[in-house]
Amino acid sequence: MSDFLQFVVAGLSAGAVYALVAMGFVAIFSVSGVINLAQGEFAAIAGLSALSFTDAGVPLPVAMLLALLVVAVVAVLMQRLAIAPVRRMTTLVSIILTLGVSTALKALLLLIYGPQGRGLAPLPGSDLVIGGVSVRAQELWILGITAVVAVAVAVFYDRTVLGKALRACAEQPVAARLVGISPKAAATVAFAVAGLLGAVAGVLASPIQLTQWDSGLLLGLKGFVAATLGGLVSIRGAVLGGLVLGVLESLTAGYVDSGYRDAVAFVLLIVVLVARPGGVFGRHAEARV
Amino acid sequence: MKSRSDAVGVVLLLVALLLLPLVLPVWVTGTAVYATIYAIAAIGLSLLMGLAGQVSLGHAAFFAVGAYTQGILVTRTAVPGLLAALIAVALAMLAALLVGLPLLRLRGHYLALATLGLGIILTVVAIETPFLGATSGIFGIDKPEFGGRRYDSPAEYLWLLTPVVILAIVGARNLVQSRVGRALGAVNDSEVAAETLGVDTFRLRLQVFVLSAGYAGVAGVFFAHWLAVVNPNSANFALSVEFLLMAVLGGLGTVWGAVVGGFGVEFLDEGLREVVPLVVPGATGEVQLIGFGIVLTLVMIFLPGGLHQAFRALTARRAPTEATEEPAAPDPGEGPLLAREGRPEPGTVLLSVRGLTKHYGGVTAVDGVDLDVAAGEIVALIGPNGAGKTTCFNMVSGVVEPSAGTVEVAGTRIDGRKPHVFAAARATRTFQNLQVFGSATVLGNVMVGRHLRSRVGLLRSMLGFAARREEREIVAAAREVIDLVGLTADADRPAADLPFGRQRLMEVARALAVEPDLLLLDEPMAGLSGAERRDLARLLRRLRAGGMGIVLVEHDVEAVLALADRVAVLDDGVRIALGTPQEIRDDPAVVAAYLGVDDDDPEAEQAVQALAEVTHDER
Repeated sequence: MSDFLQFVVAGLSAGAVYALVAMGFVAIFSVSGVINLAQGEFAAIAGLSALSFTDAGVPLPVAMLLALLVVAVVAVLMQRLAIAPVRRMTTLVSIILTLGVSTALKALLLLIYGPQGRGLAPLPGSDLVIGGVSVRAQELWILGITAVVAVAVAVFYDRTVLGKALRACAEQPVAARLVGISPKAAATVAFAVAGLLGAVAGVLASPIQLTQWDSGLLLGLKGFVAATLGGLVSIRGAVLGGLVLGVLESLTAGYVDSGYRDAVAFVLLIVVLVARPGGVFGRHAEARV
Repeated sequence: MKSRSDAVGVVLLLVALLLLPLVLPVWVTGTAVYATIYAIAAIGLSLLMGLAGQVSLGHAAFFAVGAYTQGILVTRTAVPGLLAALIAVALAMLAALLVGLPLLRLRGHYLALATLGLGIILTVVAIETPFLGATSGIFGIDKPEFGGRRYDSPAEYLWLLTPVVILAIVGARNLVQSRVGRALGAVNDSEVAAETLGVDTFRLRLQVFVLSAGYAGVAGVFFAHWLAVVNPNSANFALSVEFLLMAVLGGLGTVWGAVVGGFGVEFLDEGLREVVPLVVPGATGEVQLIGFGIVLTLVMIFLPGGLHQAFRALTARRAPTEATEEPAAPDPGEGPLLAREGRPEPGTVLLSVRGLTKHYGGVTAVDGVDLDVAAGEIVALIGPNGAGKTTCFNMVSGVVEPSAGTVEVAGTRIDGRKPHVFAAARATRTFQNLQVFGSATVLGNVMVGRHLRSRVGLLRSMLGFAARREEREIVAAAREVIDLVGLTADADRPAADLPFGRQRLMEVARALAVEPDLLLLDEPMAGLSGAERRDLARLLRRLRAGGMGIVLVEHDVEAVLALADRVAVLDDGVRIALGTPQEIRDDPAVVAAYLGVDDDDPEAEQAVQALAEVTHDER
């Protein structure tokens, strides 16, 4: 039983990181219909640039904040330079285009940082043992910060004028324009939000999972799977999807074989898509013509 | 192959592959070998993207399945190379079948992400599995031998590859221009319209996906023999991106583009591996990705049609396709049309709808509608805007799933099934919001309507000559129905250039090409001139005389009352009346339904006038 709880705790902290990445997918997709495959790279850039800052003697919390800023800038630049100029943006085009951007970003990280993986220093605090289950301080930080961020994002979309305007843009672009919301500005804000979310995931996960030039590939894919579990347009669904994926991976690694950990997301994706194309936690989408 | 430019291309490529190795430096020929191998995989990926409108981000996975299978079979078993290659390619295709079977049923682009995941997982599996040689992979694969000859120099290997790549190109070109290619092109323009003409989107997409994996498998087989080693890198992300870049750079769906892209990207790859370490000291690993990423991004932003688009822009001669002023008069005859052997006798019920209901959230758009339509009659469905007429059509034709109720066509339950099932029951429809296949000519549009009346499949399409006779029959039959609706002069114009009204007539021709027993027309008169309306009405009468059952949704109540045998009136989703035109005219509830709607609605006013005038005249 304590084994089981141990796996669940480890899974929840890994899942929280997926949830953050998944919220980034939702932030962009729900506003502009773009599936941003560079979402995982946002996390990798955050981890590696935070490492650069701490190497330069910047205190850890400041380095993490600076990394968030760097990624937000990268995300907005990506929207302005690569996404905005495309006139006929379909989902297929967005997938290929953002794969190009993510490949270029990955390669840039490889050229700057080399192929080795490194981990950021963990946040302060002592590890706990509760009822035979040990919880690392970093895992508590991950769960706590993810909870705060998730609530903040949900409140942002549901309660604030700007957040509601973003949603309006996705659902009624013409009407949104009529009442003075520019889709261009909305897309920029969406990318900034997605960048920040990915960056938080990157700096939080780095001490446990190490960061290297291509760690965004798997993280991004799993974040996408988590977002899909939630129907791709729901923040709550994305959070739940991330946590479920993390726990299932951890249980598979614990009880079956750690080599199969990375296969879980893929199998889950297929099973979920076949059983409930609208997402497990999302509203059931109806095809209309 | 049909076009002369294909033949020119094949000859040029043949000459280049056979002669250039004699004069070029060995390293260039070596790179050309890789380029040719990768181009084969890129052709498959280009077909998938261009024809099926789907993308595989992990195409290296299928390449790796082919390469590993070949490597294992020739190094560890006594299976001869050629048989091993067949097995290797079959396994690559099987992998695609297993992935595509669940995922291609879905709308959207889940295949892209699933294949990306597949590539990652295969890499992990290859690294972790001792049977697959773990990180060192399978090695010691010999160069192939044929007819007592060993192909081990770059030049000889290129010669061995030449017939393979030529066959790959010719097969792909034939497929693009075939019945299957035409149907999938139509799906990309309008999935719903293609399906109501009988195209089974899922099935064709799955076939193309499996075929594209087969191309990748062939490439993998040749790769294994050439490199002599297969390791987990052959499934990796960088190679998948390289394949994708080749297809995108050349132009999606363009076979020749993929070949050009294959060579361009492979030489770019070689160049970057040399240059990047010079610019960035100490750079190691997959440094070529920087170029791949940047080129892929730039192409998608500035040249989404790839090099093919640039080539077309450079060579395009502006041949203005002038609109014909007046459509040629349609066939002036009066006799029955499109009767066919085996059609149910006039009076036999073709369509039987019971309790048809559709809820959207809390709104009930259609509520318990019953309707029978027999062979040899015209039934009109009328009612104010928002009465649920089009929703009824959508449910009957399988475009929208009913919330409740049953639909039978020719005795077979089809409610909840997809539109191609409706079409297979010899029933089809046109659309109120036109669904024109914008990338095809009028003839090309109507030829899609012959999909179910022809049967050449994927394999015979690729062989080309096997499909030629059927193609001629398709063209002849398509031109026949184009003549019927009076679009003879417009047959070879791009459908998108046609004025609105003639696009409508084209949709009618497209539907008639199906040779349906039951035809649903959604506002066929809208946008037509007075003369065109009279011609269409005459055409519909002649079709009725030929035994076809026709259901019309129409706003022009006057035209409907003159044409229909029976009229059903919908109001607020409920069938409030059903009877002969005379009975409908006399029905106070019908007039009330039209009067009850918004006074500003001009169509409603006209309808009331039409009802009143006719009634008045007869008194």
